[in-house]
Formats: sequence, structure tokens, C-alpha cells
Amino acid sequence: MQSESGLNKPLLVLRDVSIGYDSSLSLVNIPNLEVFPGEIVVIAGPSGIGKSTLLRTIAGLVSPISGVLEVCGCILPESPPRGNLGYIPQKLGLVRHASVRHNVELGARAGVKSRKERQVRSKEAIEIMGLSEKSTEPIRRLSGGQQRRVATARTLAQRPKLILADEFLSELDEETLASVLDAVTNYVRESNAALIVVEHDISRAKMMADKLLVIDDGRVNPFIKGTKAMEVNV
Amino acid sequence: MRTAIDGKILATSFSFMLMLAFLVLNGMVNDWGRLTGGVTNLIDFFHQSLWPPDWSVLEPQVYPVCTARAPFEFTCSTAWIGVIETIKIAFVSTVFGMALSLPLSLSAARNLSPKWLSYSSRFILSAFRSLPSLIWAIFFVILIGLGPLSGTLAMTVYTVGYLGKLQYEAIEGLTKTPLEAADAMGLTKIETALNVVIPESANDLISHAIFMFEYNFRSGTIIGIVGAGGIGYYIDLYLRFLQYDKVVAYLLIIFMVVLIIDFFSIYARSFFNEEDDLRRPSWSEVFLGIVRSADATDDFSDGL
Repeated sequence: MQSESGLNKPLLVLRDVSIGYDSSLSLVNIPNLEVFPGEIVVIAGPSGIGKSTLLRTIAGLVSPISGVLEVCGCILPESPPRGNLGYIPQKLGLVRHASVRHNVELGARAGVKSRKERQVRSKEAIEIMGLSEKSTEPIRRLSGGQQRRVATARTLAQRPKLILADEFLSELDEETLASVLDAVTNYVRESNAALIVVEHDISRAKMMADKLLVIDDGRVNPFIKGTKAMEVNV
Repeated sequence: MRTAIDGKILATSFSFMLMLAFLVLNGMVNDWGRLTGGVTNLIDFFHQSLWPPDWSVLEPQVYPVCTARAPFEFTCSTAWIGVIETIKIAFVSTVFGMALSLPLSLSAARNLSPKWLSYSSRFILSAFRSLPSLIWAIFFVILIGLGPLSGTLAMTVYTVGYLGKLQYEAIEGLTKTPLEAADAMGLTKIETALNVVIPESANDLISHAIFMFEYNFRSGTIIGIVGAGGIGYYIDLYLRFLQYDKVVAYLLIIFMVVLIIDFFSIYARSFFNEEDDLRRPSWSEVFLGIVRSADATDDFSDGL
């Protein structure tokens, strides 16, 4: 496996990282985690434990309380990895009044400056997600599952090195789920990118993960709501 | 620490504010009997001087000679000339005001800009807003003389201040997820503003711009009094000659124009409303909007 060969530089490095919104209340502590190109890492655990906060921290939206966080060779929060990071938030973060094409082009915009290239990438991503017929529709008219596909297409159009996806497979029917997952995993493998997914469905998590990161309620100190992370190779 | 607002606390607070307002008012009024006398005076004034309106304001002026053919002679009337000039002033000042206020409001929004930029932009907007458009009109009349240009500049400045505040409040009310997604993806602030913030807040921005146009049209009736152009000039003229029936005719015309602007607003905003996606009103339905509104009210009453 690439990660074990040590030939590739990791796309994500976390060393002694504590995360949370309040410096006196650490939600998750991760002693050591490296994510290499081509890897799919799934973060699982009960709701409210801090999975999404961990993803938001890696995305540079929340500063870590302590530790070293390196994303695509950039140390956060000082130097964010502009354009190299794709992010699908749990609430998707789509522009509801704008069209599918506009939203997908936003991703491409983050990746390239050429208008023509942006259009090519967007069209391709829209086709992969099976949204060609909906490309001029405003997001607010789409179903929840279709909106998830738009958010995924936006990330595919961006072509980032590292994708962070927060429960991006929920609300999808089995057939669509399989096609969306295929599209994303193919991109990760072919482009030597990496994918970090928050997933509450543990069986689905095990199915797609190269590494499974289970965040469970820590009992190290019952007075602090601490957590410990276990890294399990599947 | 933030706490959830309890309905009971809200009701109690509002009742307290209401009582306080009555007490303050009572402190300012020394004779409540004047109020009943005032109503009687108003009824007398209405019957003797205001009603019926004098629609001769829609007849062509004696000079300059009207060259319009029938049935368009009304376009030579003071009411038409005044209304059209006021609409022009309102339109130009709203468009220019919006063009200037939008960059300022994007800078003033705390969810987009650093504190120093946000506060300095707010300072500029507050300065423009602190004087009413009438005072700005006096200022520009002194500066560049009588006429619609003074009125246009006055209302443009006021529009920047007023519209800017409405806009940055709308922008700050946006859900943070699209902004966060754009930030994480690496879009620049300008790209985020143009491609995320403006489309996402389009409903509010359009609504505010149309409201501002309507406000500027109504303000246009006031600034004419200080010689800054528009229908206000004629209203002031007939007020001085105590011809209140003509003033009422002008006011009714203004009311009609405001109604038309409101119908236009309904149609424009329907493109950004989820409810109207199901069935967008046609132009004829918009102008018959009173019927639709009445239906909506009935539905609401049934629900109660």
C-alpha cells in the first residue's frame, strides 16, 4: 500500500491535535494520523462526538486547540491549501437560488481560472452525477438526494487533492449511492487524491474505508468531555 | 452566553415596552381633550377642502402649448410631468445608489470582512444615512442649484446609506454553510461575494432595491419642496395657494404609482421564492394582485 511504502508524501498529517470550539473543552484528541494519496479514510462514531468538527478543522474552518495540522503541505491555520481541498459539508453549502451548473462551476472556479476549462470540468462532473437534465434548474427545486449529487459534482469539478465529505451519501437510494460512491472512489484512485468521509453507518464505513477512524467517548478523564481516536486498518 | 427566547418572556417584555411608551406619551401630552377636537377639525377640513379631489391636475397646462394628440393630452399635465420626473429621479438614484451601496455592504458584512473593514464601511453608511434626503436635497440645491440633478444626487447619497444597511443585514443573515464551503474550497473573497453571497441573498437584495425605489419615489414628493425637482414642486405650489383638493389628487396619483411598484416587486421576487416556483404569476395576475392577496387572506383565515 502507498502509505506503507513511504514513497508518497502524506496529504494530511495530524500530530497531537486537539480540536474543539472552546480551548478549555477538547472534543477530540488525535495523537497521530497520516493520510496518503489514493487512500479513503472514514471517520465513524456516535453523533455529537465531534466528527464534523474534526472535518471542519481539517478544512481550516475551525482552528485546532493544539498540535500540528498539515494539509497538502500547508500548515494550518497559517497557510490554507487554496484550491487543493474539496469540502462537502453535511448541509451541503449550495447556493440555493442559483442553478446546478452555477454551483458546480463554483468548484471548478476554485481549481482553475480559465473559463473554458471550468465549463468543461463542470459539464463532465454534471454528467458523471447524472444531472445533465437538471443543469439549469435552481437548487431549491431539487430533492435532497439530487442536491447531494450536486455538492459531489462541485467537488469533482474542482479536482482537489484532498476531499472532505460529511455524510455525503445519506438521503441517496441504493442505486444512486453506488454510482456516486463509484465516481468519487474512481476519482480518488485515478487522481491519486485522498478522501476523508464522516459516516454514521458503520457497515457502509467498513465497506469503503482503507482506514477507519473510530471516535468514541473517552473515559480517560470523566470530568472533561474527552475522546480518544483509534486507528484501525480494515 | 446566548439563551433561547421564551415566548412568555417575549410577551412580558413587549407588554412592558408598550406600557412604558404610553407613560412617555402621557408625559408629553398635557391635554388629551385636544385629540377629540382634532378629529372634528379633520372631518370638517376633509369635507370642506380635501374632497372631492380636483382632477384638473391631469389636464394639459396652458403654457407651454400641448402638442400631444388625443387621448394623450394628459402627458402635458403637471401631474404627468411631475410623476415622470419623480420616477426618473427615483430610478436613477436607486440604480446609482445600489451600485455604490453593494460593494460597501459587502465590506460591512461581518461574515465576509475583517473587523476594521466592516466597521469603517459601517461608519460611511451611517454618515450617509444620518441626514434625511430632504436635508441632502437642501445641501445639493445650495451646492449646484435648483433642479432634478440636486434631487437625484441627494437621493443617491441617502440610498447608499439606507440601502447599504438593509443589504449588509441581509448578507449577515445568510446561512454560513455556503460561505464555509466556498472558503474551504479556496475561493477568494471577491469570488465568494459575486458567486455565492449575491445569488444567495438575491431575494432580499431585489426586495430592498424595489422598496428603495418606492421610498425614493415617495421622497421625491418631498424634495421638490426645496426646489430639487419632481412632483413635490407642484404639491408645494398648491399647498401655498391652499388648493388642497388638487394636493389630494396628486397624493392619490402617488398612491397609485406606489401600488404599481408593489405589484412589480411581487413579480420580480417571484423568481427567487420557493413557493412561486410551483406557479409564477403572469403580468395580468400581478396587476390583479389584489384578488390573489384577498384569496391568500381567506386561506389564512380558514386556517385560523
